[in-house]
Amino acid sequence: MSIEAKAGLLGLAAALGLLGVTFGLSPLLQPATAAASKEQSIKIASAAASPTLEGEAKRGRSLFDHNCAHCHGDDARGDEGPSLYDLKKSEARVTTIIKEGIKGEMPKFGTKFNDADIQALIAYVRTLKS
Amino acid sequence: MSNDLWAKMHGGATHFPIALVMASTLFDLASLFVRENPGKTRRAGFQAAGCYTIVLGALGAFGAVGSGLVMSQGQLFGHGNLARHHAFLWPAFGLLISLAVWRLVVRDRASARGFKIYLAGSMLTAVLMAAAGYWGGELLLQG
Repeated sequence: MSIEAKAGLLGLAAALGLLGVTFGLSPLLQPATAAASKEQSIKIASAAASPTLEGEAKRGRSLFDHNCAHCHGDDARGDEGPSLYDLKKSEARVTTIIKEGIKGEMPKFGTKFNDADIQALIAYVRTLKS
Repeated sequence: MSNDLWAKMHGGATHFPIALVMASTLFDLASLFVRENPGKTRRAGFQAAGCYTIVLGALGAFGAVGSGLVMSQGQLFGHGNLARHHAFLWPAFGLLISLAVWRLVVRDRASARGFKIYLAGSMLTAVLMAAAGYWGGELLLQG
């Protein structure tokens, strides 16, 4: 067997091995996410016990799942975008960020969400406490 | 370490393998077309540069893939733009490792045919990495 064929087989083995290791190890990064998601569901359930928050937070969660989870993670603990837990920003600031986005980092949602939607999202985000 | 920091690390680390693979392909292409000098060192010089850059690109890819996996909390495919990013990324990563290992082992003992097949793989890897980078950028801009 020529050196080129041997090198080709070695390269293939190295690539498959590394991809195998990468795919095999990646679940180790996921359990924390799953556990956090479960914990968050419990927190939402308890937050929903508050009569004024129940509807808004639930609707906010639904809006979040369809529009924001993509970047902030299904459990809002961050993915491409930052975690939204324990958010210290004021309601006005969060509203501005949702409406106008952050240049180069977050798209604008001003035309997609009305004020009630944004209030619902904020109500949901305020339930996210670690 | 915060997710924000991992995102920044991924953004920084990911440009090394993209640039190095493209540079490697260009060095190797140049070695095919450049006119040889009397000392016959010019082509060998370009090929040596092509070899070092692809090996460095493969090493850099570990940092890019690692930081990306931590940032995405172990998501191998995802959905939307993240899935498109990964659809190009994983084949590019596999090809890059294969090519770097091949190049390290063969060095300057490649036949003309073998080197051309390698170069075709290198160009394909550069295109796949550029596409993965494009969808990574779309992730930042559009989510």
